[in-house]
Amino acid sequence: MDWSSLFGIRRIKPRDFVLRFKEHSERKIPNSRRIEELSFLVVDTETTGLDPKRDFILSFGSIEVRRLTIPVQSAKEYYLKTKKLGKEAIKVHEIVNQSLTVSRERMVREFLADAEGKILVGHHLGFDLSMMEKAGRSFGLRKINSPRLDTMDLAIRLDMGPHFDPRMVEYKRYSLDKLCSRFRIPLEDRHTAAGDALLTAQLLIRLLKSARGAGILTYADLMG
Amino acid sequence: MAKNVIVNRVKEFLQKYPPFSFLKEETLFAVATGVEVMYFEEGEYLFRKGDPARPHFFIVKEGAISLNEEREGQATTVEYCDEGDVFGVLALLGKRPYILHAQANENSLVYAIPVQVFEAILKENSRVATYFAAGFASGQVVVRSDLSSSKKARTLFNDPTKDTGLLMFSGQSGLKFSSPVISCLKGTSVGEAARTMSEKSIGSIVVRNEQNYALGIVTDKDLRKRLIAKGLPYTTKVEYIMSSPVITIAQQVDFAQAYLKMVKNRVHHLLITEDGSVASPMVGLISNHDILLSQGNSPAVIINTLQHSLEVKEIAQLRQQSEALLKYYLENEVSIDFVAGIITEINDVIVQRAMSMAQSIHKEEFPEMQDVGFCFLGLGSEGRGEQLLRTDLDNAIIFEDVPKALEQTASNYFHLIARDVIDVLLACGFHTCPAEMMANNPRWCQPLSVWKGYFSKWIREPDQPSLMMATVFFDFRPVAGKSELAEALTSHIYGEIEKHKLFLNFLAKNALLNPPPLGFFRNFLVEKSGEHRDKFDIKLRAMMPLADMGRLLVLSHRAVGINNTFKRYEMLATLEPKQEALFLEAGQAYEIFMRIRAIEGLETQSSGRYIQPEKLGKLQRQLLKNAFLPIEELQKMIRVRFQLDYFGS
Repeated sequence: MDWSSLFGIRRIKPRDFVLRFKEHSERKIPNSRRIEELSFLVVDTETTGLDPKRDFILSFGSIEVRRLTIPVQSAKEYYLKTKKLGKEAIKVHEIVNQSLTVSRERMVREFLADAEGKILVGHHLGFDLSMMEKAGRSFGLRKINSPRLDTMDLAIRLDMGPHFDPRMVEYKRYSLDKLCSRFRIPLEDRHTAAGDALLTAQLLIRLLKSARGAGILTYADLMG
Repeated sequence: MAKNVIVNRVKEFLQKYPPFSFLKEETLFAVATGVEVMYFEEGEYLFRKGDPARPHFFIVKEGAISLNEEREGQATTVEYCDEGDVFGVLALLGKRPYILHAQANENSLVYAIPVQVFEAILKENSRVATYFAAGFASGQVVVRSDLSSSKKARTLFNDPTKDTGLLMFSGQSGLKFSSPVISCLKGTSVGEAARTMSEKSIGSIVVRNEQNYALGIVTDKDLRKRLIAKGLPYTTKVEYIMSSPVITIAQQVDFAQAYLKMVKNRVHHLLITEDGSVASPMVGLISNHDILLSQGNSPAVIINTLQHSLEVKEIAQLRQQSEALLKYYLENEVSIDFVAGIITEINDVIVQRAMSMAQSIHKEEFPEMQDVGFCFLGLGSEGRGEQLLRTDLDNAIIFEDVPKALEQTASNYFHLIARDVIDVLLACGFHTCPAEMMANNPRWCQPLSVWKGYFSKWIREPDQPSLMMATVFFDFRPVAGKSELAEALTSHIYGEIEKHKLFLNFLAKNALLNPPPLGFFRNFLVEKSGEHRDKFDIKLRAMMPLADMGRLLVLSHRAVGINNTFKRYEMLATLEPKQEALFLEAGQAYEIFMRIRAIEGLETQSSGRYIQPEKLGKLQRQLLKNAFLPIEELQKMIRVRFQLDYFGS
């Protein structure tokens, strides 16, 4: 008996690219790998709202960080082709050129391909990844089980020490805007997915460099 | 999905700065896509001296990077790079290990540009190539940058569509040009061609093929640069050294077009052919000299009119007209040598006119003075023949020694003359000297014996006031009257210096007093307070040090008769072949400063002395930076040569 179908949850056969990602993400990054040798994929999504159940992704941006540098070439930006993209959304997000849009499938596929073997990074990363998981559900994606690093948590940890409970801080002080201004990163292209991803990537490099000063040198130090 | 907001953002940034600003949209896009964004914390090294060249060079996005070298175990900053500065280009140009350390001076964001993408561009885009060749990128300083290519580059980077103010030449009739064209057949030996040029006293000869179409042109410069300097024999064939192709123009072309074509192609000659193409019979040859001199508003015409003018009002108006000429020359990058020569000539003619007008007014009152010789001297920048703008007057009068009984009369007479001459100059828009170093000041209107006494005192007692006088008075130049008097004074001065050699050491010390421009690569050392707050004093910080050092070195060589700072350096280059490169650069740097100051002065209707660094474009700032380098080197040389480190104050 298939319990899931009994409860109305249809089991979906994962697509090839989802399987491939799953297989890859089970390979672990060695604990001793040094921070400057790690590869990161920094992501950001622009969505219709903040509720992962009701809302959905309008655009997705990502950029890599390797050897503590950001190759501009790796910058990706997708606008989703969607029926729900009405006149209002176009007005708000200035997504005018429909020819630049891609299908949800392509977005998920390319994201998973890019994420292979990398640490995923974002500001409030959990939200972006739940939105991505939701977008990938119909392709059989259940959980994005890559290693995750939230730039907000990292900033708090560097300020407060490793044993501090991030939930105790005033989140406003650790917003992307606040952190960028603290680290003198000019707020360019704020609130576009790619722009925010680039800001987050710049923030990540600054945080990683100051993390070295705090004795955080390896993958294990970083994730521990 | 390549066209995204990030690549565009990088592209927009690069676009603002040379050499990226010379790239076409698509090329720039490819470059921007290849960029890697890097972040360096304060104190962190980007690369170290001796490291193998990275596969990329850098441009500062935010922050500041200092390029350092180690001298005697101490890290010395050679150059600071801030936003938009390009550095680490050895990777691109030579693939040699780095010759400097690059260290983040503050937290900095840097774009790394892959060499691979850029190499192709370097080959295709001559402006980009010139940018690097001229040493505009930072940290290229150790490889001596040639300021003449800087100058060339500057012209090249001017907006080609800029209105060159050709209107002032409007209404001119057709062009005058030399005809028939003197030419020689290809295969002719250079020696024979040179003989023809010499016989016809022409500076260039056209090389033609069997169909009588022009193949190229050989100029005096080609002979010098491509034959003699290379040590080639006179039997070399003309086509081997000619400049080719010849830029041609049709017969019915007007002045403005012809001039613009020369400027655009950077040539000094245009060949006029029947239909304007190369494959068409030759009609005539026109040189830039023909163009500049054959026009109604030419300096020759102004000078000629001045020489016959009897009205102060008219003289003043002609001087005003020369200002337009100056502006035109500056905008069209006419050589400063030429410009300064013309403007000095105009100023001199005004003095000469004013002088003869004054003499005829006072002639009857002072009959006994008519046989007393005198000489009107220009001092300071006027004496050096470098006064492009109508700034402060510095001048003096020397007259022959007269018998005791006539002394007072002579003094009265020449004072009147001086007063009248200076009135004319003031009417022409010049300003009085705040220190009153002018001929109408009785102290500076004296017989030769008194003048000799002044100089003897300054040389024998080189205290601060004496040295200050020396910097102004030692650059005297006879402008009107008997130049023998000035020559007598010069030989007196050399005699005194010979006897009191220590004077030169004092003068050297004084020449190094002005704040050196070192240390303001990052920020121009600007005035801290007062009317000119936040402005850069180009006269005090850049021109005076060069002028003072040039004067000192010329005096130490006992060289006579050359007053122009840039010509002094040219002469020093021939006197000291070992330092040739440095001296030539110093001269070129001075010309650059003169030009920048004159342009600033014309634009702001001021002395041009105070420059707002932010108003200068990136390229102008880099040009200035490059031009400061010889100052520092000269200062070092002088410190050693005049043993200033052992020379107490």
